[in-house]
Amino acid sequence: MALGAHPRFRVYEIFVQKDHQSPHVWVGSVDAGSAEDAILLARESFLRRDPAVSIWAVEQSAIHRTDYADRDFFARETDKRYRTLAGYRAANAERWRKYRRELLDLERDFVRD
Amino acid sequence: MPNHDDRHAAFLDRVQRGEKIEATDWMPDEYRIAMVKFLQMHALSELMGALPEKEWVPRAPTLARKLSLMAKVQDEVGHAQLILRVAEDLAAPLGKGREELVAELFTGEAKFHNVFHMPAPTWADAGIIGWLVDGAAVVSQAALLTSSYAPYARVLQRVCAEEGFHIQHGESICLALAEGTPAQRQMLQDALNRWWEALLLFFGPPESNSPSAAVLFKYRFRTKTNEELRQKFLTKYVPRIWALGLTIPDPQLRFDEEAGRWVYTPPDWSKLKAIARNQGPLSQYRLGLRRLSYEQGRWVREALLAPAAQAV
Repeated sequence: MALGAHPRFRVYEIFVQKDHQSPHVWVGSVDAGSAEDAILLARESFLRRDPAVSIWAVEQSAIHRTDYADRDFFARETDKRYRTLAGYRAANAERWRKYRRELLDLERDFVRD
Repeated sequence: MPNHDDRHAAFLDRVQRGEKIEATDWMPDEYRIAMVKFLQMHALSELMGALPEKEWVPRAPTLARKLSLMAKVQDEVGHAQLILRVAEDLAAPLGKGREELVAELFTGEAKFHNVFHMPAPTWADAGIIGWLVDGAAVVSQAALLTSSYAPYARVLQRVCAEEGFHIQHGESICLALAEGTPAQRQMLQDALNRWWEALLLFFGPPESNSPSAAVLFKYRFRTKTNEELRQKFLTKYVPRIWALGLTIPDPQLRFDEEAGRWVYTPPDWSKLKAIARNQGPLSQYRLGLRRLSYEQGRWVREALLAPAAQAV
């Protein structure tokens, strides 16, 4: 479903990249007659203070989207702990405990060397 | 396909559980219409709020003050753009576009905030607007950050962050005047006297019985009453005003420890009725300024609409 604006303006979704270490992040949208204008308006609307290295303007009608009502698509019925840090961290810490003395001795040896 | 009543009941249940609504979700017309009306008024108020301060840009006392005031005025217009964008998506299924949302200001169908119908005759008024009017605006807007309508709540995060700058800017002006010459202090005190009633009127009457307010509460668009917001404002700002040695022009004003609330002389609520009919002190003057800039900017909008033709 296309969200409407003024029939003659098009809606552009705006993505800003603040520096080269960061991904482009969606910040909002603007009404514009062309992509070129959209980028200009985006700079005036979203970058009056913050620095940035890049702006993307994407016509809203070009975006394919999931439906918020389709919860099944994002369902997490099964236990996903086996994919996460939290699934291992506590158990590993518990098991490392019995090696603690050895570990300390070894580390001391390395430091001495 | 569930029938309309079932959908409506499910929607109401969702918002009352604290779930957020997105532009593409199904929503009852009652919700959509109330949202459009509120967002339209907020956007137009940002636009109209720029006018009392814009009057002071050419007369700002120093270049630094002129720059910060221009930045603030530009922010307010920017907020109007962001909020209009959200309002447009909601209004589209009602057959209403951006042009109508903006132009309804001139027919009186759309209102702008009561506080922007007031005069700002001195530089101290520009300071009081930045410090206390924007302070009041942040109190009411921060209460909407958890609003049920997610696209608006997202835009408000940016708006509130920038309003934080406006308050600092206003405080800076007021502190300079408070620490200035006796004439400057007096100018600040006079501006406070002029704005005090307007600051109480800002949040609206304690019991708002309007049907449109009831709809906003029902759908968890807002959760705090006018009086709760006003009390919050008083708690934050009265001590600061007193700390500067200024006098608040209300001999009844005091904090009632037992009741845990501020007691104040009620402002003349009937003034809000006149303002709602655009018969406030400067309603017509400011609408005239807005109409002028709308007409003078028409060629810019038309040029933006026809880039393809120009490129040939």
